[in-house]
Amino acid sequence: MDERTSATRPGRLAAATRHLADQALDGLIAASNGLNNFLESNAVYVFSGVRPIGESAVVLDRDGVSTLIVTPAWDEARAAAAASTDRTIGTDDLAATLKSVVGTHRLDLSRTISVGLALLGAAPVERIASALGTLPKAADELARDLARLRTPDELAAAERATWIAERGYERLLEFARPGIREFELVAELYCFMKKLGAEDNFLLLSASQHNLAVRAAGERILDVGDIILSEITPCYRGQFAQICRTTVLGAPRPVIGEKFAILQDAMAEGLYAGRAGATVADVTRAINGVIQKAGYGDYCRPPYMRVRGHGLGITSDRPGDIVDTNTRVLESGMVFVMHPNQYIPESGYLMCGEPVVVTDTGARALSARPAELDVIAV
Amino acid sequence: MQTVQPCVTIGSYIWAQDRLPYDEFMLRLDELRAAMDHNGWPAVLVYGDVREHAALAFLTSFIPRVRWSMALLPRTGDARLLCAMSTRDLPAMRTLTWIADVRSGMGPEWEKAFEPWLERFKGDQATKLGTIGFDIMAPVLYAAVRHSLGSRFALQRADDIVAIPARRKRPRELTMMRASCKLLKTAAKTFAESWRGNHEPETAALDAEHVARSLAAQDVRTLVSLDGGRALVPFQGRFEKCPGPLVGYLAVKVLGYWADLFITVDDGSIITAARQTAAALDAIIADMRPGARIGALHAKALDALAPCKLHPVLGGSIGHGIGLSLHEGAEFQASTDATLVEDGVYALQVGAADAKAGNALTSAIVRVAAKGAEVLVRSSE
Repeated sequence: MDERTSATRPGRLAAATRHLADQALDGLIAASNGLNNFLESNAVYVFSGVRPIGESAVVLDRDGVSTLIVTPAWDEARAAAAASTDRTIGTDDLAATLKSVVGTHRLDLSRTISVGLALLGAAPVERIASALGTLPKAADELARDLARLRTPDELAAAERATWIAERGYERLLEFARPGIREFELVAELYCFMKKLGAEDNFLLLSASQHNLAVRAAGERILDVGDIILSEITPCYRGQFAQICRTTVLGAPRPVIGEKFAILQDAMAEGLYAGRAGATVADVTRAINGVIQKAGYGDYCRPPYMRVRGHGLGITSDRPGDIVDTNTRVLESGMVFVMHPNQYIPESGYLMCGEPVVVTDTGARALSARPAELDVIAV
Repeated sequence: MQTVQPCVTIGSYIWAQDRLPYDEFMLRLDELRAAMDHNGWPAVLVYGDVREHAALAFLTSFIPRVRWSMALLPRTGDARLLCAMSTRDLPAMRTLTWIADVRSGMGPEWEKAFEPWLERFKGDQATKLGTIGFDIMAPVLYAAVRHSLGSRFALQRADDIVAIPARRKRPRELTMMRASCKLLKTAAKTFAESWRGNHEPETAALDAEHVARSLAAQDVRTLVSLDGGRALVPFQGRFEKCPGPLVGYLAVKVLGYWADLFITVDDGSIITAARQTAAALDAIIADMRPGARIGALHAKALDALAPCKLHPVLGGSIGHGIGLSLHEGAEFQASTDATLVEDGVYALQVGAADAKAGNALTSAIVRVAAKGAEVLVRSSE
């Protein structure tokens, strides 16, 4: 295991081993399809510390002995260097190797659970079922549940990711100008943040004189008066952190500032409401309450907004989407992004959001500088 | 080459109507419509996800940036597209395809999205629908589709009946491939020059990525070697100097079409390996013509490479088709029983791994023309 791997990750394997003992289970098979969604948990990453290239699996037995299987075979050395599992195998045939490893661990598949197998494609799942003779019972929530509270190392990585996001935004303020295309600005920001260590980045950025929503960059040429929306989401050592920002090229119309202040007030209410013991719905209602009070209650639903925030992968996406139907109770150590992003008829879509960690006294923003309506002089 | 899949593809995406106009897609649908008539399918469902979407992009121009999308292409009537994006995102999604009816399949009740979507096919008689790309669909999604279809519909794999995308590139596709190769050549040059300028491999790769993205690449993938060319690794963020030659990999996607290259720059320690890989690549290219057998090309490459062995990162393959997917069609393995087709475009990849001769990887993208090969781009030597 190299220094980039969280020293506490073996704790997740230990927690999973305890879960197996508590439930009188024989083993666990966690799988990943190699796709990385910043809104979801990657079970192989949670249990191994390796972000896989292709389809992969972690096998854990009742004694706590673990094996990571990665594809393609040539990725074995990298995976072995980063893995917190006892053993790492590279293969080009996941199903056959999984069968062999299950045999080595002497797993009783009738008392084995799986995480993430349902995310693999139909064809690989069929091959695995054929190789194993059966599919273990799904326990797809286990990885995200076990990893729902950030460890100190993970929180430090999330803080670093936030730092990278803020530097990325500063670069936007330096680089954005009338005449360049959206994709050129994104190329600059993406590579700038990658140089700072961001291994991935859910980076949406778009501009308009009146935005309906944020979207991925296109060919639009930035112009004076444009409102640039950015959702900057670097990933550092498996921890995504997101900031949402609104920037105006040239002097903004006064109404833009007035409406942006509503989002800032909503954010403040959300932070206050986001203490341990509150529910996600409580936070959502606190944010929506400010926007409703300002006269925009009709707009507190899609397509005028999506959610008031969400969990961040790829360890655990708990507490899930920040919506008023989510009754999950917040716990100290949960990390998510809180963003009262909102379409307002007079201003268009505006963005204001920070990554936060839940504490006993409220949600604490990880960012050093909260969102302001920033102006780039032209 | 497989690389780590990013969480979203951030590059410039549009439906480029000047280069791929509506009529191009109607022509592409002809073969599928013929298959519908022949098999009695009133419609075909075409599935793609953020990683693999060649058939979906070929028929609809739509490329999922995240998650998945599915097109309903009827024999008669209007097509529909369902994408796993919020309703908030639909206006932007509609700019990526000729299909006007784009709907959201995301949210807490996403499983129900299929029912109204498939409503038009309701009837008393059992109906068969063709499917493309369902092999990569997650079982949970497949179950939701099946549930919505109920007992009135049977699904039949169309993947084995009609080849989409076609192995032979269409004229406009060849134009797109040339554009992609042109951008790749520029970025690959930056990769090598940055390394020669005393930058470490990861910075050189990042410089190349920056150039490609600034030139409107939709997606960029890189791998580098940090151990003298023995293994390739995705981005590590270490930015450490490494002794030995530069060995790396660069793939770019332009308006849906991929092009990729290995970049090897000799520091004087891999003269033999570099010479042998170049000779092997020359040998394959010399034999590229319609009808050439892939197994024979493989044997020729390995003969030319001897005494060096084929580099392990190639997994025993010396190439494959390339286009809307980085890997189209069969891998060029020793046992592959297939032939090249005219206007097929192929990524040829050769590498040597040898304790004495050194480690080198080289490649080219080649169009098979009636009388030989047209090299669209090739690793510099």
